[in-house]
Amino acid sequence: MNISESIFQAFDAIRTNKLRTFLTLLSIAMGVFALIVAGTIITSFEKAVTKQLEDVGETTFWIQRTPAIQTGNTWRKYRKRKPITYNEFKELKKMTTSTNIISAHSYTFGMTITAGNLSTDPDVYLAGAENNFFITNAIDVDYGRIFTEEDINFNRNVAIIGNDVLVKIFPNVNPIGKEITIKNQKYTVIGVLKSRGAVLGQSKDNMVIIPLTNFLKYFASPWEESLTISVRAKSKEALEETIDEVIGNLRVIRNVKPWEENTFEVETNETISQQFGSFVNFLSIFGFISGGFALIAAGVGIMNIMLVAVKERTREIGIRKAVGAKRRWILWQFILEAISLCQVGGVVGIIFGTLGGYLLGNLIKLPMHFPISWIILSVIVCTILGISFGAYPAYRAANLDPIEALRYE
Amino acid sequence: MNENKPNGQPLIELRHISRVYLVGVEQVFALRDINLKIYQNEYVAIMGPSGSGKSTLMNIIGCLDTPTGGEYILKGVNVSELDDNELADIRNKEIGFVFQMFNLLPRASALKNVELPLIYAGVPKAERLERARKALMAVGMEDRMMHKPNELSGGQRQRVAIARALVTNPSIILADEPTGNLDSKSGEDIMKLFNEIWKAGNTIILVTHERDIALHAQRIIRIRDGLIESDELNHSRVVFEGVNE
Ligand SMILES: Nc1ncnc2c1ncn2[C@@H]1O[C@H](COP(=O)(O)OP(=O)(O)OP(=O)(O)O)[C@@H](O)[C@H]1O
Ligand SMILES: [Mg+2]
Repeated sequence: MNISESIFQAFDAIRTNKLRTFLTLLSIAMGVFALIVAGTIITSFEKAVTKQLEDVGETTFWIQRTPAIQTGNTWRKYRKRKPITYNEFKELKKMTTSTNIISAHSYTFGMTITAGNLSTDPDVYLAGAENNFFITNAIDVDYGRIFTEEDINFNRNVAIIGNDVLVKIFPNVNPIGKEITIKNQKYTVIGVLKSRGAVLGQSKDNMVIIPLTNFLKYFASPWEESLTISVRAKSKEALEETIDEVIGNLRVIRNVKPWEENTFEVETNETISQQFGSFVNFLSIFGFISGGFALIAAGVGIMNIMLVAVKERTREIGIRKAVGAKRRWILWQFILEAISLCQVGGVVGIIFGTLGGYLLGNLIKLPMHFPISWIILSVIVCTILGISFGAYPAYRAANLDPIEALRYE
Repeated sequence: MNENKPNGQPLIELRHISRVYLVGVEQVFALRDINLKIYQNEYVAIMGPSGSGKSTLMNIIGCLDTPTGGEYILKGVNVSELDDNELADIRNKEIGFVFQMFNLLPRASALKNVELPLIYAGVPKAERLERARKALMAVGMEDRMMHKPNELSGGQRQRVAIARALVTNPSIILADEPTGNLDSKSGEDIMKLFNEIWKAGNTIILVTHERDIALHAQRIIRIRDGLIESDELNHSRVVFEGVNE
């Protein structure tokens, strides 16, 4: 019926029962806040991963000792797997016929890069890579060059640096041909990477790439160094066939018996998306549960406020019935009021949730996306909340006896 | 105008109406065996001592309450058989209530209060406003339309309530002690207003226990202990000065 009147009444309820209404609206706002923050983060994560995968393309796949994202307690299952070695990679490259774009890389975090008296923070990502790494992982140099066969074969001390490193140690200087120091090893800069921005909160430009052979010699982890192999199939159609061949070859190389499972993990864009999907689900469930609890508490508060409102306005209900209001009109009026009340809390939650999401995103350096679908969801949730917890008070109001109601003091 | 038509179809016909309340295990007979016919454009006063069943009778006639026994025929329709929604419709279209306690929505303006029955009748906004204004004008409240009930005197509040009762053009105006909460001057003004409304062709049933008030009516029904004690035309009707009968 009269929506504006219901909204007006909802505000009236807020005015007359300030504390109770405030607490209820607070819990609605908190519930919605949790939903929106979780939603904002999830949306932004999703976009980042999607973009990352798009950049790399659909024809690349990766082989690792363990899955990229592990959820649950699967560590035991993978513990016994032997690392993937450089020799295995070379063997694989030799054996594989369906494509020749196969690369391997390894990496370590927290390196300090020095040039002259300037140095970076100890937070640089150092990768050792084969030449094909640039193709399979869609990484390119802005200027300078990538590695040659010789750089790799003779494990030369050459390095390609990212933009963040460049800015810190070569401000206003052409770095090509200059020398940098990583852990007492001297490297000649041969190229600068194209800037790739930040993904999942990490700058992709805060890195240095050196030949894999060189990396294995000086930076390999002393206990267990396992390579990531990346393969690019010739076409999307050939992807499956290539994966099959690579798996077959690698099983032979790693001596896997026919009845045994693979002792390595194959990741395609699709499997990463799937794994990521389950990770996102985990996050959403977390958001839903914490938000849900706040909202249920809020619902009980709404019911309480509405029951009081029905009692206080008993006479009004009697008057309305006397002049011809049917049950369903009264029912609708009070449910609309409950919904309006919930939406007031919801709007507050949406505003603060969106702000909170942005702040959090800023903190972990995610490019943020306006969580429009989550806002819509919140509005729907608030509506459902109003209907379900407003229903009983509204039902009580609708079924009041008009004479009794008119006599109520 | 205003002549009894005992041979036409009655507007209201009550046949053996009873209303019993159960208080604990005890039965309270508010109405015992009421038989009554009221015709179009009658002006009826119902009198009787406190607790005699006047309000109960009004509530039944106004379809706010349903009788325990007997039949109530309103405009040829057996109202005793209708359900809740149909009764709400009848209250909306056929009945205009005026209460002793005014019963206006406290937070709504006079205009909004008068609009209320039209909202439930599904009248569109513009027409609603137009009709509510006219009704307020008819009771002389045109310059108080935006006032809330607590900004009005008792007599003014009752005028607004009368405007609300009139706005749907109902068949019957039911007034339960409309002057009970008013001083004698405002009471007299309200009775003048009822007189005009009756003259305009409306049917009025009015409950009072004041003889002076009842004397304005054309017919006086006395009830006692839930039974009709007497039902006669009022031969000493009070006529307002300057009004032609
Ligand atoms: N809800 C109820 N429950 C029990 N008894 C009731 C109820 N309503 C009315 N009664 C009884 O029915 C009888 C008639 O009541 P009613 O209100 O019709 O009297 P009345 O003539 O309007 O009196 P008054 O002049 O005081 O308004 C009274 O005895 C009253 O106690
Ligand atoms: Mg009474």
